[in-house]
Amino acid sequence: MIRNHASRVLLACALCLAPAGAVTASERMRIVATTTDLKSLAEAIGGERVSVVNIVPPNVDAEEYQPKPQDLSRLKETQLVLRVGVDYDLWMDRLIAQAKRPELRRGGAAYVDCSFAIALLDVRGAQVGPAGGHAHGSGNPHYWLDPQNAEIITGTLLEALARNDPANAKSYDSRRQAFLKRLAAKIAEWERKLAAARGQPLIAHHNSWAYLARRFRLNFAGHIEPRPGIPPSPSHLAGLIALMRSQNIKVIVRQPHEPAKNADFLSGKTGAKVVLLVASVGAVPQATDYLSLFDYNVDALLAAHGR
Amino acid sequence: MTDALALLWLPFLVALCLTGIHTYLGQQVLARNIIFVDLALAQIAALGATVAFMLGHPVSSVGSYAYSAGFTLLAGMLLAATRNWSGRIPQEALIGVIYVVAAAAAFLLVEKAPQGTEHIKQILTGNILTTGADDLIAVVPLYLVIGGLLWMARARLAEPGAGWRGWLWDFLFYACFGLVVTSSVALAGVLLVFSFLIIPAAIGVLYADGVGRQLLLGWSVGVAASLVGLIVSYAFDLPTGSAMVCVFGAALALAGALRPIVTGGGERLEQLARATRIVVAVVFLASGAWVMIAPRADQPLLDSVEYAVPGLRTVYMDGRELEVYRDADSYAQRYRREAERLNEKEATSRWQGRALDDIEVRRISSFLQSYSEMRKGEEFVKQEVRNRARERIRWVLGPALIALGLLCVPWQRSRRRHAQRAESDRDV
Repeated sequence: MIRNHASRVLLACALCLAPAGAVTASERMRIVATTTDLKSLAEAIGGERVSVVNIVPPNVDAEEYQPKPQDLSRLKETQLVLRVGVDYDLWMDRLIAQAKRPELRRGGAAYVDCSFAIALLDVRGAQVGPAGGHAHGSGNPHYWLDPQNAEIITGTLLEALARNDPANAKSYDSRRQAFLKRLAAKIAEWERKLAAARGQPLIAHHNSWAYLARRFRLNFAGHIEPRPGIPPSPSHLAGLIALMRSQNIKVIVRQPHEPAKNADFLSGKTGAKVVLLVASVGAVPQATDYLSLFDYNVDALLAAHGR
Repeated sequence: MTDALALLWLPFLVALCLTGIHTYLGQQVLARNIIFVDLALAQIAALGATVAFMLGHPVSSVGSYAYSAGFTLLAGMLLAATRNWSGRIPQEALIGVIYVVAAAAAFLLVEKAPQGTEHIKQILTGNILTTGADDLIAVVPLYLVIGGLLWMARARLAEPGAGWRGWLWDFLFYACFGLVVTSSVALAGVLLVFSFLIIPAAIGVLYADGVGRQLLLGWSVGVAASLVGLIVSYAFDLPTGSAMVCVFGAALALAGALRPIVTGGGERLEQLARATRIVVAVVFLASGAWVMIAPRADQPLLDSVEYAVPGLRTVYMDGRELEVYRDADSYAQRYRREAERLNEKEATSRWQGRALDDIEVRRISSFLQSYSEMRKGEEFVKQEVRNRARERIRWVLGPALIALGLLCVPWQRSRRRHAQRAESDRDV
């Protein structure tokens, strides 16, 4: 009788838990990511076992972001910190120092630099001329814009998640495998679509597209603002106009948060089309996650090239 | 050259229009002693545009302009009402407060709408270079109407009188001023508009009497400075707005320095010469002392002279030092070229020819990093050789510089005074 009662209680408990999908909010691993792109990748692997917040809103220049008091309180509660690294989110160092949690520091158990093991482009060291121009000596930080790099980034994320939550390591691994499978199919699709734009010269506002260019063989022939934040000089613009005319460049790429005036000016002078590409998940409503970010960009580029 | 003309004629026309209206407004601003009022009103206009943006009006729409203008008019009423509000605090203080609070409030609002940040930045920095003809066509009638209005009302504006009539004339001025500044700041940015407002008017006041002559002189100076600024910006590959502001500043400095010469007055001229000699003497004396105290530290005078005349190195370095220096220099340049070549190769491979795999990209990156380190090493060698050479000759160079400095000190005046005193002694 007693045994029977106990088993009933157990059954009741099991019934109560089951509909909640096995994970309650309090059991989720709390993660802070600097950008929406890392958030999307972490969610792709962690699924409902993680709850990720991003610090920089989409459409804000992450390199110029100013941390808010809430960011600090988020850091105090988080179990894992994901950052882009490569000098992209330098302000994060100060924020982490203020959080006063040694495990969040560089090399700590809860610290994940997602640029780990990435083959960086535009590594210039100091002052090797601003020609291709980024402010970063250590390399171009927009590495997540090569979808193939997501394999490396998710590998880093998997290691960090499994280390902090060993019980669910298997589930993270299988979710990652499923994601990579979807990603591989998507990359094949994007490559097929963008074959039409291969090698076609483009102008971009800023050198954010090196990795995208390398993966899909796009030809970014010039940049409007070679040094970030410093308006272009007349001779630079004259050079660009001459380049656009001589190479018959028909497309100018701009991000939504970059100033429209310069791109529109060049467009008016040369008749090139201005196309909005986004570097971060959420910067346009269509880019809801990492994969749809590329869907949007690929379609926008194709439309701009008139295919 | 034709490229330059094609690109610069429109900015030059914009600069002409801005000079035309702002020199006139600048005279008023200088006379009323409300120098920073344009910053405050521009910031208020930006706040209005931000509010419009938050309420869903797109950037540069009619709604956005209406909100900007509305906010500017409200601020104009406030400024007109507070001209003599306490008699204890200058109005400039209030203008500063308006500027700061409007800027902070705009940032608070933008927090809620991230896309607005760039919009606010645009309003404040502007870019005269990429102004379109349609922008110009939109502002010219406004400038003409407001310029005419202010000219007709000039007598009343100068003496607004007391009471509500005085307030009304003051308000008219601030309203016109606000409307002009709102549109011109959107074209050229706050820094450049401030230069257009203050500098030509100030030079006019410095050199001419009478409003008409001051205005004519201000206009000529403004047009000339704009032209020089645009040419400098093109020739030296500089951002146009900043280059123009610096040229305007240089024009004011030149005007200030030349004033004693132009307006005559041997006494003033002598003062100027004395002041110049004192500055030069101080630079030489300080450099001479500094090279003896800390020969390995930065030596601004020596560095700039050496930068201008690299041949000077052969004078103070001995043969061995010179050889090491040239060697390091040629290696540094070689590393730079190699790094550029690798960068070029990688960038081209993204779209042309065979794609590089990750391992090749990593190899290039590590070469680039090594080249960069090696180049830094060579730069260090150059600096070290130079520092050692300076250390070696410091007891010659330092006293020589001090002697030069002493030569520049204007002793004559006191000598003449001695002579005068001796003369008067003799008379006694």
